[in-house]
Amino acid sequence: MDNNNQKIVKFITPFPMTEKQKMRVKSKLSRIGNIDQMIFQEEVDPSLIGGIVIIFGEMLIDCSLRTQLDKMKEGMI
Amino acid sequence: MISIDRSIIFQIINFLALVALLFRFLFKPVVQALDKRSNHIREEMDKIEKEKKAVEELRLKYEEESKNIHIKLQEMQELANQEAVKIKSKIIDEAYQESEKIKKTAEEKARIEIDKLFSELKLDIIDISTEIAAKLLRERIDVSKQDELIEQLLEEAINKIEIKSDIQYGQQ
Repeated sequence: MDNNNQKIVKFITPFPMTEKQKMRVKSKLSRIGNIDQMIFQEEVDPSLIGGIVIIFGEMLIDCSLRTQLDKMKEGMI
Repeated sequence: MISIDRSIIFQIINFLALVALLFRFLFKPVVQALDKRSNHIREEMDKIEKEKKAVEELRLKYEEESKNIHIKLQEMQELANQEAVKIKSKIIDEAYQESEKIKKTAEEKARIEIDKLFSELKLDIIDISTEIAAKLLRERIDVSKQDELIEQLLEEAINKIEIKSDIQYGQQ
């Protein structure tokens, strides 16, 4: 995974990301890490419905609507 | 002058002698026999009277015993009736308690079944609602909404990570 201190960062979205979206995400990620040492990968998963899931090293940032709905569902149960 | 014939005197003497003899040898034994017979009859009568009295006493005794037995029978009948009432009451109580127990068990089972059905129904409703919400969201999400979502949700997540990092840094 790491190659010369570089970290793979994976974006998972329900549909392909636009350049504007990628820029925004990278800008936000720069607040918690050095994006120069990040290698970005993209994956499309329609089951997410909306939002984004970011796998950043051992960190998982789940901002998908599917997870929001699942949390809401668990709350109702 | 009255002349008395000697033969008459002789006849009178004979008659008196006969009477004396009869009295001595006939009347006395007859009277004795009659007395004896009379005494025997009296004794027999006394005996009969005594036996009659004994029979009467026995009858009275039997009557008394019969009366006692009757009273005892009545008491026993009454006790049996009381016992029967107690047993009847006990059986009714037990049957009532058993029926109450069965009723409670049935109610509890019904309640559990209803709760289970409600839980299943609730889960089904939640599943369906979530799927409907997912379907509606899927239909309404476009690029601009996705932009907003990424902006809003990612901002919140990054903020949380920053706060967490600050706390960890502070603790070190």
